[in-house]
Amino acid sequence: MPLALSPTAVPVVVDEAKCIADKGCTVCVDVCPLDVLRISDLTSKAYMKFDECWYCMPCETDCPTGAVTVNIPYLLR
Amino acid sequence: MSVFDPFEDFGDAEEIALRLADADPAVRRLAVIDLAEAASPDVLRHLLAAAGDSDASVRLQVAIALSDFGTADAAAGLAALVADADNGVARAAADSLAELKDAAAAPAVLPLATHESAFVRASAFRGLKGLRAPAALGPALAAMKDASAKVRAEALGVVAYLKREETLPSLIAATRDTDASVRAVAVNALSFTSQGAAATAVAAALDDENWQVRAAAAESLGRIGHASAIDDLTVGLADDYWQVRQKCLTALGRLKALPAVQEIAALLASDLPSLRKEAAAALGEIADPSTRDALTAHASDADPDVRKTVRWALTRIG
Repeated sequence: MPLALSPTAVPVVVDEAKCIADKGCTVCVDVCPLDVLRISDLTSKAYMKFDECWYCMPCETDCPTGAVTVNIPYLLR
Repeated sequence: MSVFDPFEDFGDAEEIALRLADADPAVRRLAVIDLAEAASPDVLRHLLAAAGDSDASVRLQVAIALSDFGTADAAAGLAALVADADNGVARAAADSLAELKDAAAAPAVLPLATHESAFVRASAFRGLKGLRAPAALGPALAAMKDASAKVRAEALGVVAYLKREETLPSLIAATRDTDASVRAVAVNALSFTSQGAAATAVAAALDDENWQVRAAAAESLGRIGHASAIDDLTVGLADDYWQVRQKCLTALGRLKALPAVQEIAALLASDLPSLRKEAAAALGEIADPSTRDALTAHASDADPDVRKTVRWALTRIG
């Protein structure tokens, strides 16, 4: 699994202003079937750690505050 | 002993419930999410308490969480949330209410049937429909004269789901409603019966000004299965909308409409493959030898589905 260490464009984008992971929310991390989302130790917000997305969308659908956006590649739409 | 524990520990309900008193609404909301996942019956008490939270996002989460509990208490909580001042909360509660399946929940929902808001009344009947509670019949029949078309349509659904022959006059009256969506529901609802009066009323709906009502009427006539409808359905084969013509063909096939075979065979020459296929299917159901030549002429139709159905129909005729 490739590690996303340098800032690159990943499909799952989290709006840090809306994310409430710092209050203890882990919904997106829990629902992801590929387990590629994490809560950042630096910002305490959710982010995509591994770029292995299947574009299955539960993270976006289940996020209680609507902070998660999954950018589906044009050719998959 | 393995170190790996396959059963995740979701925490103690009492411990999570302490967070419901937090000053931050986001923390309270997360507590509601965690309580819902704790999956033990004693969390319901805490969820119902949180239904009175001052923050709409917390109440919204409670409305979503309560759909997992089918009990009368949960239904009472949802009934209160359907009338919430916040639209999002009310909509979520209405959706959760529609998930209820246990008739024990009916007494909690019934008082909403006479609520002042049309949305609440419609949501109440939407919830009651799946419960199939006989007690809901009276309020639903009364609501079929409601001023709001949405309420009338949902109340009609409650009556139709109970499938009582004695409600036929009300259902038949609803096929003449001023609102097309209510008429469509009414026409669909009558398909459970085999009474002649219902067949006559639905056949009259084949002349409706709205094509969706006409299509629903044709479909319903096929299910009612009354041969008296054959003439009206044959007239429907010349409808302006192909969707209606298609439903009429299916219904005529189900009714084994021998007198209509020539009109059905004429539609084998239609421009639309879906109509040609449906005509062939109807002729196959009827299996009248007089249509063998018309079918044979289409055995090499350009559309594979039509070819397949025509050949099936020919084997039926033999």
